[in-house]
Amino acid sequence: MRVITNNLRLFWRGTLLSYVALFAWLRPTTYAASKILMPLAQILFFSILGSYGTGGSNVDFYVIGNAIQIAAVSGIFGVTMSIGGDRWAGTLPYLFGTPANRLMMFFGRAFMHIIDGAFGVVIALGWGALLFGVDFSQTNLSALGLTVIITTISTCGLGLLMGCLSLLTANVMFVNNTVYFLLLIFSGANIALDTLPNWMQGFSQVLPLTRGIAASRALIAGGSFAEVSPLLVNEIGIGLAYGWLGYLLFKWFEYQAKRKGTLETV
Amino acid sequence: MKFRNIFVYWRTILRVAEITLRHQWNDSFILFSILVQPMIIAVLALFMLRGLGGDYAMFVVVGSGLTGLWSSLLFISGNSINGERWQGTLESLVSTPTPFEVIVFGKNLANVIQSLLSMTASYLLASLLFGYTLQLVAPLLFIGSVLLSIFAFISFGLIIAPLFIMYRGIQQWQNAMEFPVYILAGFLFPIAMLPGWTTPISYILPPYWAARALHETSTGGADLEKIMLAWGMMLFFSVIDLLIASRLFKVMLYKARVDATLETE
Repeated sequence: MRVITNNLRLFWRGTLLSYVALFAWLRPTTYAASKILMPLAQILFFSILGSYGTGGSNVDFYVIGNAIQIAAVSGIFGVTMSIGGDRWAGTLPYLFGTPANRLMMFFGRAFMHIIDGAFGVVIALGWGALLFGVDFSQTNLSALGLTVIITTISTCGLGLLMGCLSLLTANVMFVNNTVYFLLLIFSGANIALDTLPNWMQGFSQVLPLTRGIAASRALIAGGSFAEVSPLLVNEIGIGLAYGWLGYLLFKWFEYQAKRKGTLETV
Repeated sequence: MKFRNIFVYWRTILRVAEITLRHQWNDSFILFSILVQPMIIAVLALFMLRGLGGDYAMFVVVGSGLTGLWSSLLFISGNSINGERWQGTLESLVSTPTPFEVIVFGKNLANVIQSLLSMTASYLLASLLFGYTLQLVAPLLFIGSVLLSIFAFISFGLIIAPLFIMYRGIQQWQNAMEFPVYILAGFLFPIAMLPGWTTPISYILPPYWAARALHETSTGGADLEKIMLAWGMMLFFSVIDLLIASRLFKVMLYKARVDATLETE
Protein backbone atom coordinates (compact mmCIF):
# COMPACT_ATOMS: atom_id res chain seq x y z
CA MET A 1 0.00 0.00 0.00
CA ARG A 2 2.82 2.36 0.93
CA VAL A 3 4.56 1.67 -2.39
CA ILE A 4 1.40 2.53 -4.28
CA THR A 5 0.94 5.75 -2.30
CA ASN A 6 4.55 6.75 -2.90
CA ASN A 7 4.26 6.03 -6.61
CA LEU A 8 1.05 8.01 -6.89
CA ARG A 9 2.66 10.89 -5.06
CA LEU A 10 5.64 10.71 -7.40
CA PHE A 11 3.32 10.62 -10.40
CA TRP A 12 1.43 13.70 -9.22
CA ARG A 13 4.51 15.69 -8.18
CA GLY A 14 6.26 14.89 -11.46
CA THR A 15 3.14 15.77 -13.39
CA LEU A 16 2.72 19.11 -11.72
CA LEU A 17 6.35 20.18 -11.61
CA SER A 18 7.17 19.26 -15.20
CA TYR A 19 4.14 21.24 -16.36
CA VAL A 20 4.86 24.25 -14.16
CA ALA A 21 8.50 24.15 -15.27
CA LEU A 22 7.38 24.83 -18.83
CA PHE A 23 6.35 28.30 -17.72
CA ALA A 24 9.85 29.08 -16.54
CA TRP A 25 10.50 30.05 -20.13
CA LEU A 26 7.06 29.91 -21.77
CA ARG A 27 5.37 33.24 -21.08
CA PRO A 28 1.63 33.28 -20.43
CA THR A 29 1.04 35.43 -23.52
CA THR A 30 2.93 32.97 -25.72
CA TYR A 31 0.90 30.18 -24.19
CA ALA A 32 -2.36 32.06 -24.88
CA ALA A 33 -1.22 32.72 -28.45
CA SER A 34 -0.57 29.04 -29.06
CA LYS A 35 -3.73 27.97 -27.24
CA ILE A 36 -6.29 30.40 -28.61
CA LEU A 37 -5.06 32.25 -31.68
CA MET A 38 -2.90 29.62 -33.37
CA PRO A 39 -5.72 27.00 -33.41
CA LEU A 40 -8.11 29.62 -34.74
CA ALA A 41 -5.70 30.62 -37.49
CA GLN A 42 -5.04 26.99 -38.46
CA ILE A 43 -8.75 26.16 -38.56
CA LEU A 44 -9.49 29.27 -40.61
CA PHE A 45 -6.71 28.62 -43.10
CA PHE A 46 -7.50 24.98 -43.82
CA SER A 47 -11.27 25.43 -43.70
CA ILE A 48 -11.20 28.30 -46.19
CA LEU A 49 -8.74 26.36 -48.35
CA GLY A 50 -11.00 23.30 -48.26
CA SER A 51 -14.02 25.45 -48.92
CA TYR A 52 -12.27 26.99 -51.94
CA GLY A 53 -11.39 23.52 -53.26
CA THR A 54 -14.86 22.08 -52.83
CA GLY A 55 -16.89 25.12 -53.81
CA GLY A 56 -18.08 25.82 -50.28
CA SER A 57 -19.50 22.43 -49.45
CA ASN A 58 -18.52 20.31 -46.46
CA VAL A 59 -16.75 23.00 -44.43
CA ASP A 60 -17.56 21.06 -41.24
CA PHE A 61 -15.20 18.32 -42.44
CA TYR A 62 -12.22 20.69 -42.27
CA VAL A 63 -13.32 22.54 -39.14
CA ILE A 64 -13.79 19.36 -37.08
CA GLY A 65 -10.66 17.70 -38.48
CA ASN A 66 -8.43 20.63 -37.63
CA ALA A 67 -10.06 21.25 -34.25
CA ILE A 68 -9.31 17.69 -33.14
CA GLN A 69 -5.84 17.83 -34.67
CA ILE A 70 -5.08 20.72 -32.28
CA ALA A 71 -4.62 17.99 -29.62
CA ALA A 72 -1.21 17.49 -31.22
CA VAL A 73 -0.03 20.94 -30.03
CA SER A 74 -0.02 19.76 -26.41
CA GLY A 75 0.43 16.09 -27.26
CA ILE A 76 3.57 16.51 -29.31
CA PHE A 77 5.15 19.87 -28.45
CA GLY A 78 4.10 20.02 -24.80
CA VAL A 79 5.02 16.46 -23.87
CA THR A 80 8.32 16.62 -25.75
CA MET A 81 9.28 19.79 -23.93
CA SER A 82 8.36 18.27 -20.58
CA ILE A 83 10.64 15.29 -21.18
CA GLY A 84 13.42 17.08 -23.05
CA GLY A 85 13.28 19.95 -20.55
CA ASP A 86 15.14 17.85 -17.99
CA ARG A 87 18.07 17.59 -20.33
CA TRP A 88 18.13 21.31 -21.21
CA ALA A 89 17.77 22.29 -17.55
CA GLY A 90 20.55 19.90 -16.51
CA THR A 91 18.29 17.98 -14.11
CA LEU A 92 18.50 14.67 -15.96
CA PRO A 93 21.45 13.30 -13.92
CA TYR A 94 19.54 13.96 -10.67
CA LEU A 95 16.48 12.27 -12.12
CA PHE A 96 18.41 9.18 -13.13
CA GLY A 97 20.19 9.22 -9.80
CA THR A 98 16.97 8.70 -7.85
CA PRO A 99 15.48 5.28 -7.11
CA ALA A 100 12.07 6.65 -8.23
CA ASN A 101 9.75 4.45 -10.26
CA ARG A 102 10.56 5.23 -13.88
CA LEU A 103 7.14 4.28 -15.19
CA MET A 104 5.41 6.79 -12.92
CA MET A 105 8.02 9.42 -13.64
CA PHE A 106 7.74 8.92 -17.39
CA PHE A 107 3.98 8.79 -17.85
CA GLY A 108 3.51 11.56 -15.30
CA ARG A 109 5.16 13.92 -17.79
CA ALA A 110 2.16 13.57 -20.13
CA PHE A 111 -0.72 13.83 -17.67
CA MET A 112 -1.22 17.61 -17.55
CA HIS A 113 -0.83 17.81 -21.30
CA ILE A 114 -3.79 15.48 -21.72
CA ILE A 115 -5.98 17.92 -19.79
CA ASP A 116 -4.36 20.89 -21.50
CA GLY A 117 -4.70 19.33 -24.95
CA ALA A 118 -8.34 18.39 -24.43
CA PHE A 119 -9.00 21.95 -23.29
CA GLY A 120 -7.35 23.21 -26.50
CA VAL A 121 -9.62 20.99 -28.61
CA VAL A 122 -12.69 22.30 -26.78
CA ILE A 123 -11.59 25.87 -27.54
CA ALA A 124 -11.02 24.91 -31.18
CA LEU A 125 -14.45 23.26 -31.46
CA GLY A 126 -15.89 26.41 -29.87
CA TRP A 127 -14.29 28.47 -32.65
CA GLY A 128 -15.85 26.06 -35.14
CA ALA A 129 -19.33 26.58 -33.68
CA LEU A 130 -18.91 30.33 -33.40
CA LEU A 131 -17.35 31.11 -36.78
CA PHE A 132 -18.43 28.26 -39.03
CA GLY A 133 -21.71 27.33 -37.39
CA VAL A 134 -20.77 23.71 -36.69
CA ASP A 135 -23.99 22.18 -35.38
CA PHE A 136 -23.76 20.18 -32.17
CA SER A 137 -27.51 19.76 -31.72
CA GLN A 138 -27.44 16.09 -32.79
CA THR A 139 -24.24 15.35 -30.88
CA ASN A 140 -23.88 13.07 -27.90
CA LEU A 141 -21.71 15.56 -26.02
CA SER A 142 -20.47 13.18 -23.34
CA ALA A 143 -19.36 10.71 -26.03
CA LEU A 144 -17.65 13.56 -27.87
CA GLY A 145 -15.94 14.59 -24.63
CA LEU A 146 -14.66 11.07 -24.13
CA THR A 147 -13.48 10.96 -27.75
CA VAL A 148 -11.55 14.19 -27.27
CA ILE A 149 -9.87 12.84 -24.14
CA ILE A 150 -9.00 9.52 -25.77
CA THR A 151 -7.62 11.25 -28.85
CA THR A 152 -5.53 13.56 -26.69
CA ILE A 153 -4.21 10.57 -24.69
CA SER A 154 -3.20 8.77 -27.88
CA THR A 155 -1.52 11.90 -29.26
CA CYS A 156 0.36 12.30 -25.97
CA GLY A 157 1.51 8.69 -26.43
CA LEU A 158 3.20 9.74 -29.65
CA GLY A 159 4.52 12.79 -27.79
CA LEU A 160 6.16 10.55 -25.19
CA LEU A 161 8.00 8.73 -27.95
CA MET A 162 9.04 12.03 -29.55
CA GLY A 163 10.11 13.30 -26.13
CA CYS A 164 12.55 10.42 -25.84
CA LEU A 165 13.96 11.33 -29.21
CA SER A 166 14.70 14.75 -27.73
CA LEU A 167 17.08 12.97 -25.37
CA LEU A 168 18.92 11.50 -28.34
CA THR A 169 19.03 14.34 -30.84
CA ALA A 170 19.42 18.10 -30.84
CA ASN A 171 17.12 18.37 -33.85
CA VAL A 172 13.98 17.39 -32.05
CA MET A 173 12.08 20.57 -33.00
CA PHE A 174 12.68 19.70 -36.64
CA VAL A 175 11.26 16.21 -36.04
CA ASN A 176 8.34 17.53 -33.96
CA ASN A 177 7.33 20.18 -36.46
CA THR A 178 7.56 17.67 -39.30
CA VAL A 179 5.42 15.14 -37.45
CA TYR A 180 2.86 17.83 -36.54
CA PHE A 181 2.50 18.90 -40.17
CA LEU A 182 2.51 15.33 -41.49
CA LEU A 183 -0.44 14.62 -39.20
CA LEU A 184 -2.35 17.33 -41.10
CA ILE A 185 -2.07 15.11 -44.18
CA PHE A 186 -2.20 11.59 -42.81
CA SER A 187 -4.70 11.90 -39.94
CA GLY A 188 -7.52 12.73 -42.34
CA ALA A 189 -7.92 16.19 -40.81
CA ASN A 190 -7.90 17.82 -44.23
CA ILE A 191 -8.09 15.04 -46.80
CA ALA A 192 -10.65 12.26 -46.88
CA LEU A 193 -8.60 9.12 -46.29
CA ASP A 194 -10.30 7.12 -49.04
CA THR A 195 -8.99 9.60 -51.61
CA LEU A 196 -5.38 8.99 -50.61
CA PRO A 197 -3.17 6.40 -52.34
CA ASN A 198 -3.16 2.97 -50.63
CA TRP A 199 0.26 3.36 -49.02
CA MET A 200 -0.81 6.65 -47.47
CA GLN A 201 -4.02 5.10 -46.16
CA GLY A 202 -1.99 2.28 -44.62
CA PHE A 203 0.30 4.77 -42.90
CA SER A 204 -2.73 6.71 -41.58
CA GLN A 205 -3.96 3.62 -39.81
CA VAL A 206 -0.90 3.37 -37.57
CA LEU A 207 -1.10 6.98 -36.43
CA PRO A 208 -2.90 8.49 -33.47
CA LEU A 209 -5.64 11.04 -34.29
CA THR A 210 -6.88 9.22 -37.42
CA ARG A 211 -9.63 7.31 -35.63
CA GLY A 212 -10.27 10.09 -33.13
CA ILE A 213 -11.02 12.53 -35.94
CA ALA A 214 -13.25 9.99 -37.72
CA ALA A 215 -15.12 9.27 -34.47
CA SER A 216 -15.60 12.99 -33.72
CA ARG A 217 -17.00 13.63 -37.19
CA ALA A 218 -19.40 10.71 -36.80
CA LEU A 219 -20.56 11.85 -33.36
CA ILE A 220 -21.08 15.47 -34.40
CA ALA A 221 -23.11 14.23 -37.39
CA GLY A 222 -25.40 12.44 -34.92
CA GLY A 223 -23.75 9.02 -34.70
CA SER A 224 -24.09 6.96 -31.55
CA PHE A 225 -21.39 6.02 -29.07
CA ALA A 226 -21.81 2.33 -29.98
CA GLU A 227 -20.95 3.13 -33.61
CA VAL A 228 -17.69 4.85 -32.75
CA SER A 229 -16.55 2.73 -29.81
CA PRO A 230 -14.44 0.33 -31.96
CA LEU A 231 -12.61 3.38 -33.34
CA LEU A 232 -12.00 4.66 -29.82
CA VAL A 233 -10.68 1.32 -28.58
CA ASN A 234 -8.19 1.24 -31.45
CA GLU A 235 -7.29 4.89 -30.93
CA ILE A 236 -6.36 4.40 -27.30
CA GLY A 237 -4.55 1.17 -28.16
CA ILE A 238 -2.36 2.98 -30.68
CA GLY A 239 -1.65 5.76 -28.20
CA LEU A 240 -0.65 3.33 -25.47
CA ALA A 241 1.57 1.43 -27.90
CA TYR A 242 3.43 4.66 -28.77
CA GLY A 243 3.68 5.57 -25.11
CA TRP A 244 5.06 2.13 -24.26
CA LEU A 245 7.61 2.37 -27.07
CA GLY A 246 8.62 5.73 -25.66
CA TYR A 247 9.03 4.21 -22.22
CA LEU A 248 11.25 1.43 -23.59
CA LEU A 249 13.34 4.04 -25.39
CA PHE A 250 13.56 6.06 -22.18
CA LYS A 251 14.82 3.00 -20.28
CA TRP A 252 17.28 2.20 -23.07
CA PHE A 253 18.53 5.78 -23.04
CA GLU A 254 19.08 5.65 -19.27
CA TYR A 255 20.91 2.35 -19.57
CA GLN A 256 23.15 3.54 -22.41
CA ALA A 257 23.80 6.91 -20.78
CA LYS A 258 24.91 5.28 -17.54
CA ARG A 259 26.97 2.64 -19.33
CA LYS A 260 28.78 5.03 -21.67
CA GLY A 261 28.73 8.15 -19.50
CA THR A 262 26.87 10.09 -22.19
CA LEU A 263 24.12 11.56 -20.05
CA GLU A 264 24.85 15.14 -21.02
CA THR A 265 25.84 14.71 -24.64
CA VAL A 266 23.52 15.23 -27.55
CA MET B 1 17.28 52.61 -43.66
CA LYS B 2 18.63 55.08 -46.17
CA PHE B 3 17.92 53.84 -49.69
CA ARG B 4 21.40 54.84 -50.95
CA ASN B 5 23.03 52.63 -48.30
CA ILE B 6 21.98 49.64 -50.35
CA PHE B 7 24.27 50.85 -53.15
CA VAL B 8 27.05 52.25 -50.95
CA TYR B 9 27.36 49.05 -48.93
CA TRP B 10 26.47 46.50 -51.61
CA ARG B 11 29.64 44.50 -51.00
CA THR B 12 28.93 44.28 -47.28
CA ILE B 13 25.35 43.24 -47.96
CA LEU B 14 26.47 40.45 -50.27
CA ARG B 15 29.15 39.25 -47.85
CA VAL B 16 26.71 39.23 -44.92
CA ALA B 17 24.21 37.33 -47.09
CA GLU B 18 26.87 34.78 -48.02
CA ILE B 19 27.95 34.19 -44.42
CA THR B 20 24.32 33.98 -43.29
CA LEU B 21 23.56 31.39 -45.97
CA ARG B 22 26.56 29.27 -44.99
CA HIS B 23 25.70 29.56 -41.34
CA GLN B 24 22.00 28.78 -41.68
CA TRP B 25 22.35 25.84 -43.99
CA ASN B 26 23.19 23.69 -40.97
CA ASP B 27 20.14 24.79 -38.98
CA SER B 28 17.44 22.13 -39.07
CA PHE B 29 14.67 24.57 -38.09
CA ILE B 30 15.50 26.68 -41.12
CA LEU B 31 15.43 23.61 -43.35
CA PHE B 32 12.02 22.84 -41.90
CA SER B 33 10.70 26.35 -42.54
CA ILE B 34 11.94 26.68 -46.09
CA LEU B 35 11.67 23.10 -47.35
CA VAL B 36 9.62 20.68 -45.26
CA GLN B 37 6.69 22.85 -44.22
CA PRO B 38 6.04 24.40 -47.66
CA MET B 39 6.26 20.95 -49.26
CA ILE B 40 3.73 19.52 -46.80
CA ILE B 41 1.44 22.49 -47.41
CA ALA B 42 1.89 21.91 -51.15
CA VAL B 43 0.88 18.24 -50.80
CA LEU B 44 -2.17 19.24 -48.73
CA ALA B 45 -3.20 21.91 -51.21
CA LEU B 46 -2.64 19.64 -54.22
CA PHE B 47 -5.09 17.17 -52.70
CA MET B 48 -7.54 19.77 -51.39
CA LEU B 49 -7.71 21.92 -54.53
CA ARG B 50 -7.69 19.22 -57.17
CA GLY B 51 -11.39 19.81 -57.79
CA LEU B 52 -10.52 23.20 -59.26
CA GLY B 53 -8.94 21.68 -62.36
CA GLY B 54 -7.01 23.79 -64.86
CA ASP B 55 -3.56 24.93 -63.85
CA TYR B 56 -4.24 24.75 -60.14
CA ALA B 57 -0.99 22.83 -59.55
CA MET B 58 1.08 25.85 -60.61
CA PHE B 59 -1.10 28.02 -58.37
CA VAL B 60 -0.31 25.65 -55.47
CA VAL B 61 3.42 25.68 -56.27
CA VAL B 62 3.54 29.48 -56.12
CA GLY B 63 1.23 29.72 -53.10
CA SER B 64 3.05 27.13 -51.01
CA GLY B 65 6.37 28.74 -51.95
CA LEU B 66 5.02 32.02 -50.61
CA THR B 67 4.13 30.33 -47.32
CA GLY B 68 7.79 29.34 -47.03
CA LEU B 69 8.83 32.93 -47.74
CA TRP B 70 6.56 34.34 -45.06
CA SER B 71 7.42 31.71 -42.42
CA SER B 72 11.09 32.30 -43.06
CA LEU B 73 10.65 36.07 -42.80
CA LEU B 74 8.63 35.77 -39.60
CA PHE B 75 10.78 33.28 -37.74
CA ILE B 76 14.26 33.68 -39.22
CA SER B 77 14.42 37.35 -40.19
CA GLY B 78 12.26 38.22 -37.19
CA ASN B 79 14.89 36.68 -34.94
CA SER B 80 17.90 37.90 -36.92
CA ILE B 81 18.92 40.50 -34.30
CA ASN B 82 18.08 38.22 -31.39
CA GLY B 83 20.15 35.49 -33.04
CA GLU B 84 23.26 37.71 -32.90
CA ARG B 85 22.47 38.49 -29.27
CA TRP B 86 22.29 34.80 -28.40
CA GLN B 87 25.63 34.19 -30.12
CA GLY B 88 27.25 37.13 -28.37
CA THR B 89 28.11 38.91 -31.64
CA LEU B 90 25.60 41.74 -31.38
CA GLU B 91 27.91 44.19 -29.60
CA SER B 92 30.63 43.76 -32.22
CA LEU B 93 28.18 44.24 -35.07
CA VAL B 94 26.65 47.37 -33.56
CA SER B 95 30.06 48.91 -32.91
CA THR B 96 31.32 48.53 -36.51
CA PRO B 97 31.22 51.65 -38.73
CA THR B 98 28.80 49.88 -41.11
CA PRO B 99 25.21 50.86 -40.30
CA PHE B 100 23.57 48.02 -38.40
CA GLU B 101 20.50 48.01 -40.65
CA VAL B 102 22.75 47.28 -43.63
CA ILE B 103 23.90 44.11 -41.88
CA VAL B 104 20.31 43.08 -41.13
CA PHE B 105 19.42 43.86 -44.76
CA GLY B 106 22.12 41.40 -45.86
CA LYS B 107 20.82 38.77 -43.45
CA ASN B 108 17.28 39.25 -44.72
CA LEU B 109 18.52 39.01 -48.31
CA ALA B 110 19.99 35.59 -47.50
CA ASN B 111 16.81 34.49 -45.74
CA VAL B 112 14.53 35.52 -48.57
CA ILE B 113 16.76 34.07 -51.29
CA GLN B 114 17.07 30.72 -49.52
CA SER B 115 13.30 30.76 -49.00
CA LEU B 116 12.85 30.75 -52.76
CA LEU B 117 13.91 27.13 -52.45
CA SER B 118 10.39 26.57 -51.10
CA MET B 119 8.97 27.33 -54.52
CA THR B 120 11.57 25.20 -56.27
CA ALA B 121 10.92 22.29 -53.91
CA SER B 122 7.16 22.57 -54.42
CA TYR B 123 7.70 22.75 -58.18
CA LEU B 124 9.77 19.56 -58.16
CA LEU B 125 7.25 17.87 -55.89
CA ALA B 126 4.29 18.71 -58.13
CA SER B 127 6.06 17.83 -61.36
CA LEU B 128 8.10 14.78 -60.36
CA LEU B 129 5.99 13.16 -57.65
CA PHE B 130 2.51 14.16 -58.80
CA GLY B 131 3.34 14.24 -62.51
CA TYR B 132 1.88 17.65 -63.30
CA THR B 133 3.03 19.60 -66.33
CA LEU B 134 3.79 23.04 -65.00
CA GLN B 135 4.05 26.13 -67.14
CA LEU B 136 4.34 29.81 -66.37
CA VAL B 137 1.97 32.11 -68.23
CA ALA B 138 4.51 34.93 -68.47
CA PRO B 139 8.02 33.77 -67.46
CA LEU B 140 9.78 37.13 -67.81
CA LEU B 141 7.14 38.99 -65.87
CA PHE B 142 7.23 36.21 -63.29
CA ILE B 143 10.97 36.72 -62.82
CA GLY B 144 10.37 40.46 -62.45
CA SER B 145 7.71 39.71 -59.84
CA VAL B 146 10.08 37.40 -57.97
CA LEU B 147 12.79 40.09 -57.84
CA LEU B 148 10.39 42.74 -56.59
CA SER B 149 8.92 40.31 -54.09
CA ILE B 150 12.40 39.66 -52.72
CA PHE B 151 12.91 43.38 -52.22
CA ALA B 152 9.47 43.82 -50.64
CA PHE B 153 9.97 40.91 -48.25
CA ILE B 154 13.45 42.10 -47.21
CA SER B 155 12.13 45.60 -46.50
CA PHE B 156 9.20 44.20 -44.53
CA GLY B 157 11.62 42.03 -42.55
CA LEU B 158 13.61 45.14 -41.61
CA ILE B 159 10.58 46.34 -39.65
CA ILE B 160 9.84 43.02 -37.98
CA ALA B 161 13.31 42.39 -36.52
CA PRO B 162 13.66 45.62 -34.48
CA LEU B 163 10.00 45.47 -33.48
CA PHE B 164 10.53 42.01 -32.01
CA ILE B 165 13.55 43.29 -30.09
CA MET B 166 11.97 46.45 -28.71
CA TYR B 167 8.51 45.12 -27.99
CA ARG B 168 8.80 41.60 -26.64
CA GLY B 169 5.02 41.56 -26.25
CA ILE B 170 4.72 41.44 -30.06
CA GLN B 171 7.21 38.61 -30.42
CA GLN B 172 5.20 36.50 -28.00
CA TRP B 173 2.52 36.35 -30.69
CA GLN B 174 5.01 35.19 -33.31
CA ASN B 175 3.64 31.63 -33.48
CA ALA B 176 0.14 32.94 -34.03
CA MET B 177 1.18 35.28 -36.87
CA GLU B 178 2.06 32.58 -39.39
CA PHE B 179 -1.32 31.38 -40.67
CA PRO B 180 -3.11 34.79 -40.56
CA VAL B 181 -0.76 36.15 -43.24
CA TYR B 182 -1.22 32.98 -45.33
CA ILE B 183 -4.93 33.80 -45.17
CA LEU B 184 -4.90 37.58 -45.54
CA ALA B 185 -2.31 37.63 -48.33
CA GLY B 186 -4.26 35.14 -50.43
CA PHE B 187 -1.36 32.74 -50.92
CA LEU B 188 -3.55 29.72 -51.69
CA PHE B 189 -7.04 31.13 -52.15
CA PRO B 190 -8.38 34.50 -53.28
CA ILE B 191 -9.09 37.04 -50.54
CA ALA B 192 -12.60 37.29 -51.98
CA MET B 193 -13.28 34.20 -49.84
CA LEU B 194 -12.80 36.37 -46.73
CA PRO B 195 -15.22 38.86 -45.16
CA GLY B 196 -15.08 42.32 -46.75
CA TRP B 197 -13.70 44.03 -43.63
CA THR B 198 -10.43 42.10 -43.94
CA THR B 199 -9.66 43.45 -47.45
CA PRO B 200 -8.02 46.73 -46.27
CA ILE B 201 -5.75 44.68 -43.99
CA SER B 202 -4.69 42.57 -46.99
CA TYR B 203 -3.98 45.72 -49.00
CA ILE B 204 -1.42 47.00 -46.51
CA LEU B 205 0.50 43.71 -46.46
CA PRO B 206 3.41 43.56 -48.95
CA PRO B 207 3.06 39.72 -49.12
CA TYR B 208 -0.44 40.23 -50.54
CA TRP B 209 0.91 42.29 -53.46
CA ALA B 210 3.70 39.78 -53.96
CA ALA B 211 1.13 36.97 -54.13
CA ARG B 212 -0.98 38.95 -56.59
CA ALA B 213 1.96 39.62 -58.88
CA LEU B 214 3.27 36.05 -58.73
CA HIS B 215 -0.12 34.40 -59.25
CA GLU B 216 -1.04 36.78 -62.07
CA THR B 217 2.22 36.07 -63.94
CA SER B 218 2.21 32.33 -63.30
CA THR B 219 -1.42 31.20 -63.63
CA GLY B 220 -3.47 34.37 -64.14
CA GLY B 221 -4.24 36.30 -67.28
CA ALA B 222 -0.89 38.14 -67.20
CA ASP B 223 -2.89 41.36 -67.30
CA LEU B 224 -0.20 44.05 -67.53
CA GLU B 225 -2.30 46.62 -65.69
CA LYS B 226 -2.81 44.31 -62.71
CA ILE B 227 0.85 43.33 -62.68
CA MET B 228 2.02 46.94 -62.77
CA LEU B 229 -0.33 47.81 -59.92
CA ALA B 230 1.10 44.95 -57.81
CA TRP B 231 4.67 45.92 -58.68
CA GLY B 232 3.96 49.57 -57.89
CA MET B 233 2.42 48.68 -54.54
CA MET B 234 5.39 46.46 -53.67
CA LEU B 235 7.79 49.31 -54.46
CA PHE B 236 5.65 51.79 -52.55
CA PHE B 237 5.50 49.59 -49.45
CA SER B 238 9.20 48.79 -49.69
CA VAL B 239 10.07 52.49 -49.57
CA ILE B 240 7.67 53.04 -46.66
CA ASP B 241 9.10 50.00 -44.85
CA LEU B 242 12.68 51.23 -45.34
CA LEU B 243 11.76 54.63 -43.91
CA ILE B 244 10.04 53.10 -40.90
CA ALA B 245 12.91 50.64 -40.43
CA SER B 246 15.43 53.50 -40.46
CA ARG B 247 13.58 55.16 -37.59
CA LEU B 248 13.12 51.88 -35.71
CA PHE B 249 16.81 51.02 -35.91
CA LYS B 250 17.77 54.48 -34.63
CA VAL B 251 15.38 54.19 -31.69
CA MET B 252 16.46 50.61 -30.97
CA LEU B 253 20.19 51.42 -30.91
CA TYR B 254 19.66 54.63 -28.94
CA LYS B 255 17.56 52.77 -26.39
CA ALA B 256 20.10 49.96 -26.19
CA ARG B 257 22.93 52.47 -25.50
CA VAL B 258 20.98 54.51 -22.96
CA ASP B 259 19.55 51.53 -21.09
CA ALA B 260 22.61 49.31 -21.68
CA THR B 261 20.29 46.52 -22.75
CA LEU B 262 22.14 45.30 -25.82
CA GLU B 263 23.04 42.00 -24.24
CA THR B 264 20.17 41.55 -21.86
CA GLU B 265 16.94 39.71 -22.49
